[in-house]
Amino acid sequence: MKKYSFRIIMIVAFILFAGYLLWPTYSDSVYQSKLESLSGQDSTEYFDENEASIRNARDNRLKLGLDLQGGMYVTLEVDIVELLGKLAKNEDENLRDILAATKEEALTSDEPVLDIFRRRFDEKNMRLSRYYGDIRDSNGEVMDKLSDETEKAVERALEIIRNRIDQYGVSEVAITRSGSRRIILELPGVSDEQEVRGLIQETAQLEFKLFADDNTQLATVKRIDRVLLGKPPEEEVDTTAAADSTDAALADNEAAEDTTAAAADADQLDSIAKANMTDEERLDEYKKENPFLGLFIPTQYGLFATADQKERINNILDRDDVKNAIADDLTFAWSAKPEQLQDGSEVYEFYMLKRKPELTGEVITNAQAQIEQTGLGGAVVTMQMDAEGAREWARVTGANVNKRIAIVLDNAVFSAPNVRQKIIGGNSQIEGMENMEEARLLEIVLKAGALPAPVSIIEERTVGPSLGEDSISAGINSFAIGFVLVLLFMVVYYQFGGVPADIAVLFNVVFILGILAGFHGTLTLPGIAGILLTVGMAVDANVLINERIREEFGAGKTLRAAIDAGYSRAFPAIIDSNLTTLLTSIILYQFGSGPIQGFALTLGIGIVCSLFTAIVMTRVIFEITADNAPGLVKFG
Amino acid sequence: MRIFTHLNFDFMGKRKTFYVLSAIILLASVISLAFKGVEFGLDFKGGTEVVVRFPRTVEIDELRGWMSTSDLGSIEIKSFGTDTDYIVRTEQKGQGTEISNKIKSILIEHFPDKGIEILQENIVEAKIGSEIRRDAVIAVFFALIGILIYIGFRFKFIFAIGAVIALFHDVLLTLGIVSMVTNLIPGLNLEFDQAMVAAFLTLVGFSINDTVVVFDRVRENLKLSKSSAFEPVLNKSINSTMSRTVLTSTTTFIVMLALLFFGGEPTRGFAFAMTVGVLTGTYSSIFVASALTLDWTKARKAKITF
Repeated sequence: MKKYSFRIIMIVAFILFAGYLLWPTYSDSVYQSKLESLSGQDSTEYFDENEASIRNARDNRLKLGLDLQGGMYVTLEVDIVELLGKLAKNEDENLRDILAATKEEALTSDEPVLDIFRRRFDEKNMRLSRYYGDIRDSNGEVMDKLSDETEKAVERALEIIRNRIDQYGVSEVAITRSGSRRIILELPGVSDEQEVRGLIQETAQLEFKLFADDNTQLATVKRIDRVLLGKPPEEEVDTTAAADSTDAALADNEAAEDTTAAAADADQLDSIAKANMTDEERLDEYKKENPFLGLFIPTQYGLFATADQKERINNILDRDDVKNAIADDLTFAWSAKPEQLQDGSEVYEFYMLKRKPELTGEVITNAQAQIEQTGLGGAVVTMQMDAEGAREWARVTGANVNKRIAIVLDNAVFSAPNVRQKIIGGNSQIEGMENMEEARLLEIVLKAGALPAPVSIIEERTVGPSLGEDSISAGINSFAIGFVLVLLFMVVYYQFGGVPADIAVLFNVVFILGILAGFHGTLTLPGIAGILLTVGMAVDANVLINERIREEFGAGKTLRAAIDAGYSRAFPAIIDSNLTTLLTSIILYQFGSGPIQGFALTLGIGIVCSLFTAIVMTRVIFEITADNAPGLVKFG
Repeated sequence: MRIFTHLNFDFMGKRKTFYVLSAIILLASVISLAFKGVEFGLDFKGGTEVVVRFPRTVEIDELRGWMSTSDLGSIEIKSFGTDTDYIVRTEQKGQGTEISNKIKSILIEHFPDKGIEILQENIVEAKIGSEIRRDAVIAVFFALIGILIYIGFRFKFIFAIGAVIALFHDVLLTLGIVSMVTNLIPGLNLEFDQAMVAAFLTLVGFSINDTVVVFDRVRENLKLSKSSAFEPVLNKSINSTMSRTVLTSTTTFIVMLALLFFGGEPTRGFAFAMTVGVLTGTYSSIFVASALTLDWTKARKAKITF
C-alpha cells in the first residue's frame, strides 16, 4: 500500500478541497429551501438567527449566470458627444455642426469619438481652445484635457450608479468598468426593469442641506417612538430641557437609559426599579420603551445603524402614520458609505435634514481633491462656485457658522462638514478626509452635481426567471442523460476498465464546479458547453489509456506491465491534445468577450482537472486492484 | 466488447476519393454560404427582440397579423421551440426601450386579461454587434495561431499546417451545413448567436484533439521504425487509433444528441452544430490532416523523422 500512499493522500486532499469549496453552494440551497418553506414571520426569525452563515453561504456559493437564473445585463456607454457639448465654454453654430457631424460618423466608425472630433476641427482649421481648456493651449493639449475629462466622466457615472443601486437595495449587483468608456451592470433576479432603467438614466441630484436643529431632531424621534407605541404623537414635554441632552442622551447605553428615565421622570418609582436591573435588562427595557430610537446604536457623534437595522428603520419611516407625525420640512437620509466601528462592524449614519436644499449642485464650477498645502498635509477637497452660487453660499455659511451642512447626492449623504466661517467668493475647502481615496470620492460627487455624466444604454438583456429555470432544467437534464449514457457505455465496452474512467469523469465535473466556486466564477450556458467539451476530453483520455492497455495486454504482457505500458504510451497523446486545448482556452479567455470567456474559463479549469483525474486518479485505482484482486481487472 | 481489433484499411490509398468528396461538400457549403448565408442573431446584427410566452397556443400567422399593424418596419417572428413561445424581433433602432415597449403593448393588447410572460428581452446596438463579431474573430484567429505554433513545436511544421487546414475544413463545412439546414426544419433555430460561436469553438477543440491523437501515433510509429515509408506508417497509425476514434466520437455524439433532443431551445443550435462538428472533426483528422501531410511529403520527396 505504501507506494500509493502519497498519491492517495493527494487525491483525498483534492476531493476534500473540492468538497470544501462546494459546501457553501450546498448549504445555500438548504437555507433557501428552508426559508421558502417557512412563512413570513418564522422566515424572518430563522434568517436573523442564522444570518451570518446564510450570508456566508450566499457569498461563497457557485453563482449562476444571468442566462441561467434570470436578471438584467446592461452595458452603458458614456456619451462623449453629449459630454463635449456640455464641456464647451461657449457654444456656437460651428461647434454644433461639428458635434452633429461627429455624432453621425461615430455611429458607423470604429475610430474613437475624440479622434473623429479632432479631425473635424483640423479639417476646418479651427482651434479647439476656442471652446475648451485654456485659450493658449495647443490642440494636442486640449485633447489631453478632454480625454482626461471623459475618463472622469466614466468614474462619475460609475459612482452615481453605484450610489443609486446601493440605495435601491438590489443584492449582488456587479458593477464593472469595461474598457475606457463603458460600464457593465449585472443585476440578477431583477424584475422591475423600468425602475432600474430610471436609476441609471436620470440626472444626478446634488444638494447642500442644513441639519434640522437639535430640538426638532429629538422631538421627531420621540414622536415616532410614541406612534409606534400606539400613543398620540403629541406630548407636553419640556422640549428645551430635553434638547440639551440630545447629544449626551445618545452617548451610550447608560446615557440612553437616562433619557428614558428623564422622559418618564413623572414616575420616580419606575426609575428606581430600573436601577436594580442588570445592564441587559435595562437595554431590553429601553428598547421596548423606545421602539424606534432603540434600533440605533447610540454613540457620542450621532445616530448609527447596521445595514439590517437600516432596512427596518426605513420601513418604519415609510409607514403612513409615522409620516403623518413628522414635520413637513424635515427629511431623512443615510450616509452613502458605511463607517467601521472599533469592533469591525459596519454602520451607516442617520441624518435628519431640512427638506429644502440651500443650494444645488449646478452652481459648482470645479472640485479638486488634493493634499493640503499649508496645514498638516491631509487630504482635502477644494470646491469653486459660480458668482451666483458664491453669493448664496456666503449667506448660507454666514448664517450657519459652527453648524454642519450635508452634501447629498441622490439622497445619500457623502459628507457633512462643519462650517468654520462665512465663505465669501465661492472658494471652499473641505477637510477631515481620512485619505486621498475618500477625497477623490467627494470630488467625484461634487462634480456630479456640476457636470452630469451622460450615459446611454447600448446593450440590455433581460432574461425572465422562467426562461432561466427552463433552460437550466432542460440543459441539466439533457446533460445528465448524455452523461449517464456515456458512463454506461464505458462500462459495457471496457467492463472493469470503464469503472475508474467513470469515477474519474464524475470527479472531474465535481472538481470543475468546486474550483469555479472557489474563484467566485459564474456558471453560464457557454460555461456548461465548456464542461461538456472537458467531459468529452476526459472520456477520450481514458479511452486512449484503456485502448493502450488492451493492446499491450493482447501483445502478451502481464497485467501490471500492460497497465504501466498503457499509461506511458498514452501519455504523449493525452498531454499534447490537452495542452493544445488548454492553450486555446487561455487565448480565448484573453481575447474573447463575455460568453467566449465563460466557455474558456470552464474549459481551462476542466483540462487541468481532467489531466489529474485521468493520469493520477484512474491509475491508482487500476494499480491497487491489479495488485490485490487481479481477477477483477478485465478490459472486455 | 471490441470493435476494429485488427483493422487494416488502406485509408491513405483512398484519399483522392475523399478529396473529391470533401471538395464537393465544401463547394456546396461555399455556394450555400454565398447565396443563402447564415442568419445572424441579435447578438451580431443589433436591434430589439422580445421573447414572449403566450398563455395558449398561437399560430405564427396569427401573431404576424397582430404585428403587421405596427409601425415598426420589418418584423421577424420565429418560434422559440414551442407553439406558445415566440421571438419577435426588429432591427429598427429606438431610444432606450421604446421599441420593446411598443412590441409588448401590441402583445398585451391581444391578451388583456390572461397574462403573457416575457421570457427574454434584448436590446443590442448595431455597434456592439459588430464589436462582438470582431472580438470573436480575433479570439479564434489567435487561437488558431497558438495551435499552429504548438503543434509545429511538438510535431513537425507540416503537421501543424495539416491540422490547421483540417480545422478550416471543419469550420467551413459545418458553417455550410448550418447554412443549408437553416429554416428547413421547423423548431430548429440555427441563428448565429453567441451560443453558436461557443459551438464552433468547441468543435475546433474537438477536431484538434482528434487530429493530435492520430499524429501522436504517427510520431510514435515513426520513432519505432525509422526506415519505414511514410504512407504505411500513416495507415497503420490510423488503423490502430480507429477503435479509440470511433469510441470517443460516439460518446460525444451521444451527449450532443441528448442535448439536441432534450436540451431545450437555447442549446439546440449549439447541439446541432456540434453534432455535425463531431462527424467532420473525426473525418478530417484522417482525410484532411493526415492526407495533406502525406501529399506534401510526397511532393517534396521529404522524409519525416522524429
